[in-house]
Amino acid sequence: MNPRVSHAILMAAAVLVLVLLGARAADPVLYTAENISTAAHADPATVQKRSPGNAAALVPLMDDLLGETGTLALTIKLKDYESAERDLARYSELSRQFDRLVVTLDVSGTDVGEFQQNNRQNQEALATLLNDTRRFEDLQSLEIEVRGDDEQHMAVVYEGEALRQKMREGFSAYAKRETATTRIAEHYEINATPYQESVEDFAEIADAADDWREEIGTGTKKSPLRIAVTPAEGRYGDTLLIAGTHASGRPGAPVEIYVDSRIAETVALDDGGSYRHPYRIGRVLAGPHLAYATAGPIYSEVAAFAILSGNTSITLALAEVNETTIACTGNLTTDDRPVTLAPVLLRVDDGTLVAAETDKNGTYEKEIALPAGEHTIRAEFHGAGYPLNASESPAETVTVRGEGLSPLPFAAALAALFGTGWYLRRRRNRREESPVVEPARETAEEAAVPPPQVEIAGLPPREAATVLFRTLRARLGIAETKTPRDCARIAPGHAGFFERYELIRYAGETPSEEELRAMEKEALGGDADAA
Amino acid sequence: MQREAWAVLLILLLAGAAAYAHVTTTTEEYSRYNTGWNGTSGFAGEEIRDLRGLDPGAALLILAPDRPFTAEEAGYLRAFLDGGGRVIIADEEGAANGLLADLGSTMRVRPGNLASLDRNHADPGLFLARVVGNDTLFAGVETVRVNRPAAVEGGEPLLETSILTWEDADGDGRITGSETFGKAVVGAREGNLTVLGDPSLFINAMLAENLEFIQNTRAVLLDGTHSRTGTANLILNARLWIQETPPAAAAAAALAVLPVAWHFGRKRDD
Amino acid sequence: MAGAKKYYAAAVLAAWLIIVAFFMVLSRTLDLEVFFVLALIGLLVVAVLIDGAFSRPRYMRYIGYLIAAGVALFAYIVVQKILEILAA
Repeated sequence: MNPRVSHAILMAAAVLVLVLLGARAADPVLYTAENISTAAHADPATVQKRSPGNAAALVPLMDDLLGETGTLALTIKLKDYESAERDLARYSELSRQFDRLVVTLDVSGTDVGEFQQNNRQNQEALATLLNDTRRFEDLQSLEIEVRGDDEQHMAVVYEGEALRQKMREGFSAYAKRETATTRIAEHYEINATPYQESVEDFAEIADAADDWREEIGTGTKKSPLRIAVTPAEGRYGDTLLIAGTHASGRPGAPVEIYVDSRIAETVALDDGGSYRHPYRIGRVLAGPHLAYATAGPIYSEVAAFAILSGNTSITLALAEVNETTIACTGNLTTDDRPVTLAPVLLRVDDGTLVAAETDKNGTYEKEIALPAGEHTIRAEFHGAGYPLNASESPAETVTVRGEGLSPLPFAAALAALFGTGWYLRRRRNRREESPVVEPARETAEEAAVPPPQVEIAGLPPREAATVLFRTLRARLGIAETKTPRDCARIAPGHAGFFERYELIRYAGETPSEEELRAMEKEALGGDADAA
Repeated sequence: MQREAWAVLLILLLAGAAAYAHVTTTTEEYSRYNTGWNGTSGFAGEEIRDLRGLDPGAALLILAPDRPFTAEEAGYLRAFLDGGGRVIIADEEGAANGLLADLGSTMRVRPGNLASLDRNHADPGLFLARVVGNDTLFAGVETVRVNRPAAVEGGEPLLETSILTWEDADGDGRITGSETFGKAVVGAREGNLTVLGDPSLFINAMLAENLEFIQNTRAVLLDGTHSRTGTANLILNARLWIQETPPAAAAAAALAVLPVAWHFGRKRDD
Repeated sequence: MAGAKKYYAAAVLAAWLIIVAFFMVLSRTLDLEVFFVLALIGLLVVAVLIDGAFSRPRYMRYIGYLIAAGVALFAYIVVQKILEILAA
């Protein structure tokens, strides 16, 4: 084939290949073996090694939690309050770990989630029981002390009655959860015996309070401070009215209202001796709750009310903020009522969890920075501590463009281009310069070398010629590696000498005596003319 | 000139090697001639085609059967089982349920989409199952990594998943809606008959994941006619047929030798 | 004899590229950047080995430009990867 044609074909093919490759230059990884699978199996070498969480720890944690309820209830019953405090701290820590694990493993929708809710309520019940039992013990000793003083004795009796009612209500709620919790424990094959024992211990503590009531029971009348909660049940966002009267109270006297042993509000008695407080249901667990009031040392009876759990719905909308950030917004509502200041979790790509919070209108907004590519985001509300059920939004996909081209690599490429060009040019110039420099140096040295002495008598003619050649070459300052022909080229003035020597040396000719003498003269620098 | 000839020869050799590799391998699932990740070319089991007269001390593996067993063949297998031989059926599509019924077993394979949280990979179907019970097949093995297995009903459990396993009906990889956690059995045995719910244990990509278990299956015989370890590739089948029928092998040898003999044997007219 | 070195150089470069492609297929990852960098290394090695000290044949005259372009692209890839690592 004609070389021009083959060159043209080669050029065309090279250009075509470069264009095709250039089209993929923005995405240089043409193919990677990722998540290769068929219907029957997946290739484990190409599947990302990512565990969903410490799944092996889930069931043992549930086992530990049930065990802790048993220990805690026992230490409370034995009135070992220091150990009970330690046990309660450990129980809280385990509950926190368990909550985190349930969210990470994304199992809140199963019976594990139900177990988690029951566990939270159990934890609160046992904490309240510890405080109540401690106070109760103090009251029991106090009651004996103030037997003489009627007024103080009455106050102690009222408080004791309030505590007893609290413990009784607490126990009935605790016992109601036993069936469900035991069923779940059996499903996961964990030992529910400590938990069942804790229920029995709780019963004993409540019974002991009842017995004390029996002892001092005769002659006590109901507390002058009345309390009632209307309506007796509500949902998140509802307002319950806690109101009552104080038979022997002065107008303006302060009345402290407690909900679940935590102070909710301090109100003042009005002129009619009654008080009222609207209680809004916010971040409290669902289930039965207790309210009571105190006016000075006088405790009211305990009023029970129930908070029902409600369903929630959460929405998610994704919007692009810039090339690397996505804004996630949404609403969290329950039955058309917004859920305010609640924690919302955003799950990115089934892995990372980002926390957000709703504002006073139930709207949450969060900006997440993501790498370039496609991502899936889902918003979840887990209802921790709220009388609300968990809910999640449908998963939304978004493509993040990623940062545009930065100028730095282009600058580096230009710098490398110039650097390489400069280096290659320098190398080439240096290589061309060196042969030019040498002859100039040699002619300059020629004049400086003094005429040498040489002894050729007694040598055969051809060897004598060799000695003379070497002498002349040294005198002219030409390097010893140069051949006669090189020397003739370098020193044209002595070209004749060198050419003659070349014939003597390589063509086998023999110089005559006269020639030798002429060569000697020239070698020693006498005659500048050619021999 | 000679240099160019060498270059051409080298390129032809490389091309020939590539063509040979292409023609003698296939990409069919579970095939012995598939050297890729989903083939069983790395599995060291001797292939047999006749179920008659099997050595009663051996173990026979039926891997992902796709052809039904005739009553005759079921009879041979029953005789083999009664004689003390061991039969291992690895199936995850339920095609072996007919054979199991014929052999009088109560075990059945229930195909489905098992997913578990007890795993080390992002794919929910690629998880760990625990070995329960005593069996020589699982001697020295505590956990087995299974690859999208099916559940096995009946029999005495050999391989059990953790309790955090569920049947992923909607295929979203999470436990949602009415899906519940529960232990699933993916390997069971009844006398000498063992049913494994995961034939993927024997593919090339999984051999390295369960080294001890594969070691224990070293001496197993493979049922070539019913397992899906064959191939639909014509060239491979032709080669196999030539190897197995002596007259055909002799004919092929003759075909190769005769032209050479004729070339050197004829009288030269120089 | 004329140009034998040219053919050797081209053949060696082609063989090197085929080896690189073979290993990329074997590892089931086809990455243009990796291929380009290895090809550039091959080109540089071949250019250094066939470069004569005293002569500059026609096929070597313009290889400087090719090498400069290759090094520029290499610098671009390196700086981009560094930025990626720093951003992470």
